[in-house]
Amino acid sequence: MKKITLIIIALLFIGILTDCKKKKKSEEEDPEISFDKSGMLSNYSNNVIAPNFTVAKTALDSFALAYADFIQTKTVANLLVARQKFNRAYNQYQLMSLFEFGPSETEIVRANFDTYPTDSVQIKSNISTGTYNLSQVNNIPAKGFPAIDYLLYGHNISDASVLTLFDTDANAANRNGYVNSCLGEMQTKLNSIISAWNASYKNTFNASTGSEIGSSLGLLINQLNYEIDLIKNGKIGIPLGKKTLGVALPEKCEAYYAKTISVSLAKTCLSNIENVYLGRSINGADGLGLDDYLEALKVQHNSGTLNDAIKNQFSIVKVKLALVNEPLSVSVTNDIATVDAAYVELVKLLVLLKTDMPSALGIVITYQDGDGD
Amino acid sequence: MINNIKTYFTKSVHLAPLAIFRMAFGILMLLSTLRFIAKGWVYTMYIKPKLFFPYYGFEWIKPLEGNLMYVVFGILAIAALCIALGLFYRASAILFFLVFTYVELIDKTNYLNHYYFISIMSFLLIFLPAHRYFSLDVYRKKELFATNAPNYFILLIKFQVFIVYFFAGLAKVNSDWLLHAQPLKIWLPAHSEMPIIGSLLTQQWVAFVFSWFGCIYDLVIPFLLFSPRFIKPAYVLVIIFHLATSLFFNIGMFPYIMITLTAIFFTENFHIQLINKIESLFKRSKKTEPMIYYNPSPLTVKLFYSLFFIHFTLQILIPFRYLFYDGNLYWTEQGYRFSWRVMLMEKAGTAFFYVREKNTGKEIEVSNSDYLTPMQEKMMATQPDMLVNYAHFLKDEFQKKGIVNPEVVSESYVTLNGKASCLMVDKKTDLSKEEDSFKTKKWIIPFNNN
Repeated sequence: MKKITLIIIALLFIGILTDCKKKKKSEEEDPEISFDKSGMLSNYSNNVIAPNFTVAKTALDSFALAYADFIQTKTVANLLVARQKFNRAYNQYQLMSLFEFGPSETEIVRANFDTYPTDSVQIKSNISTGTYNLSQVNNIPAKGFPAIDYLLYGHNISDASVLTLFDTDANAANRNGYVNSCLGEMQTKLNSIISAWNASYKNTFNASTGSEIGSSLGLLINQLNYEIDLIKNGKIGIPLGKKTLGVALPEKCEAYYAKTISVSLAKTCLSNIENVYLGRSINGADGLGLDDYLEALKVQHNSGTLNDAIKNQFSIVKVKLALVNEPLSVSVTNDIATVDAAYVELVKLLVLLKTDMPSALGIVITYQDGDGD
Repeated sequence: MINNIKTYFTKSVHLAPLAIFRMAFGILMLLSTLRFIAKGWVYTMYIKPKLFFPYYGFEWIKPLEGNLMYVVFGILAIAALCIALGLFYRASAILFFLVFTYVELIDKTNYLNHYYFISIMSFLLIFLPAHRYFSLDVYRKKELFATNAPNYFILLIKFQVFIVYFFAGLAKVNSDWLLHAQPLKIWLPAHSEMPIIGSLLTQQWVAFVFSWFGCIYDLVIPFLLFSPRFIKPAYVLVIIFHLATSLFFNIGMFPYIMITLTAIFFTENFHIQLINKIESLFKRSKKTEPMIYYNPSPLTVKLFYSLFFIHFTLQILIPFRYLFYDGNLYWTEQGYRFSWRVMLMEKAGTAFFYVREKNTGKEIEVSNSDYLTPMQEKMMATQPDMLVNYAHFLKDEFQKKGIVNPEVVSESYVTLNGKASCLMVDKKTDLSKEEDSFKTKKWIIPFNNN
């Protein structure tokens, strides 16, 4: 017994001694980390998330007005204005799609707003029968922005022909009704998201300061990763043929029928991801974000900091993406190397954001619950 | 000396500690099983997945179809209850051990040291006379009743607990843990929002104190528990330590299991009084019991000693099997499991898989989420043997889809204890041609430790 006691005392002594040494050293080199986590969360909810929903709503409402004008006075000029407002609304939607947790998760935003490629056969059948229920699962690929994209632009037809379809075509009234249903559903959902955020979810979000599964930070980072995965696969990789032995699938581009905005949607989406990373509002006001959190924790990455590595990778991806020409559906077959270069850099960004960052922050981002040890 | 040891092993001890242990174990297992079902994990871990990651040599173990897995967990719950009650004890212990181990062997995604601990404990319980005192079996068959038995039965449990702690401590004696306070330096600041202690957790020296305390605790506590003089303060430490771990880490029932089961080290009087209290709860007045010694037959004793010897030899050797492998243990995880390496590393990864058509060299990037649950994908990305299992699955899957001679390659970026992520495997290796085995996995890109 005495021997054991001696061993214990010796071990404790060595431990404390080494520890004191360490303590001194670490205090000199690494002063205490102080970071205002709850300040970061309120910056996110007040300056990033809530304003982005509002911006998306403004753009969607403005498209609704332009579309109503077009239906009122069916001219090609009005059609073009409506399309322009549509493009804007689709673009601003990219600023809110990331935040699919809380009220936005309840409304299943990504699936309801932006499932593409859209199912033109289902859309045509819905229009010709005039009876459909958009909340049914089988209509998910036949609504939202992609459905309106199809109806407003048509597949390889002239503007005049699109006008005819809304004007004198036998199904013109039904077609107009269908656009309004798609539009109305998105407006309703977006309004209820905004009111839920303002009513109570903002407080819930700000108060959940932990790092466990389902904490606000966990949800945000998880969705940030989901979003970058969407750019990598849905917006670029799949059209480029990454899942199909290199056979390009141009028709799988987002906003395929508009033809001119696929790349810019991806760019907006990426810049929103970057803003979220930086805690930056759309006006450019830079508040507390994940970058500041990583800096406060002094997270290293090879010879530099992880924050610098991530910021650097964001700029590389932006440069590569800027080289990709519209329409993306043509670039994926005619300019494969350029699109592929952007894809490769996106993968690197994804690894930094999905593996290095959460690991350094000790954040559990897996949706699935379970025990660890 | 040898005589002393022999006396220590064979001296007559009261069965109350074993009876309490049996009840505690049964109740905890019942609660754990019900919690597991209530959390929906039977579905997410055993019904929903499209493929399962088998242990090497146990590829033949498969889950039952669909909702039958709930029946399996129902059996576990009933067996646990019977163990607690001491009803058909031996059969229940065998059943619990077999069914629990079966469930654990289905998918190594779900491997936890604490599940391994429970498998072993339930295995050891089979051989103990834990039902001969304060049990329904005694009520049912009076001749089973005994108050005393040789000490070695209880020692079996105590030694096992000793091994768990001591090896967990030994595993912490490494430079990452002691000199860099990793991974606690990452994990503790993540809780900076906690009241009172939150601001402390962000300070580096606290991570060092926790690391050193954890290591010394694990190495010393098993000795303290064996000493009647130190058992009380030791048990206070046990409670503090495990409650602290449950506060900081998502480790479910394990802290409570350890706190409860470690009580077996208390004196027999403590346990006898505890049983008296339980009896008085049921308004049963305590009759004075005659001392009845359970004396196993010489053959049983021989068999028991053989079991004792083989079991603990294995328990001591298995954690050292990693010495046979090249490379960084945390990186390759060869010989990592079944060694009481608990909460030792912060490891995360992203694995990209590509199926390549051999003749054309053209590739398909696999959507892992089409085949794997989030948990499986997370675990697979950092564990080389799981990369191989998955590659074999993908080969079959894409062959069925019409790809001739598919090669399966992967790029898995892994970060370990705060180091920048780097490739664990690159596209040069056709993983579908590699076999999972006990041999060194030569295709693993060595960990660049700088």
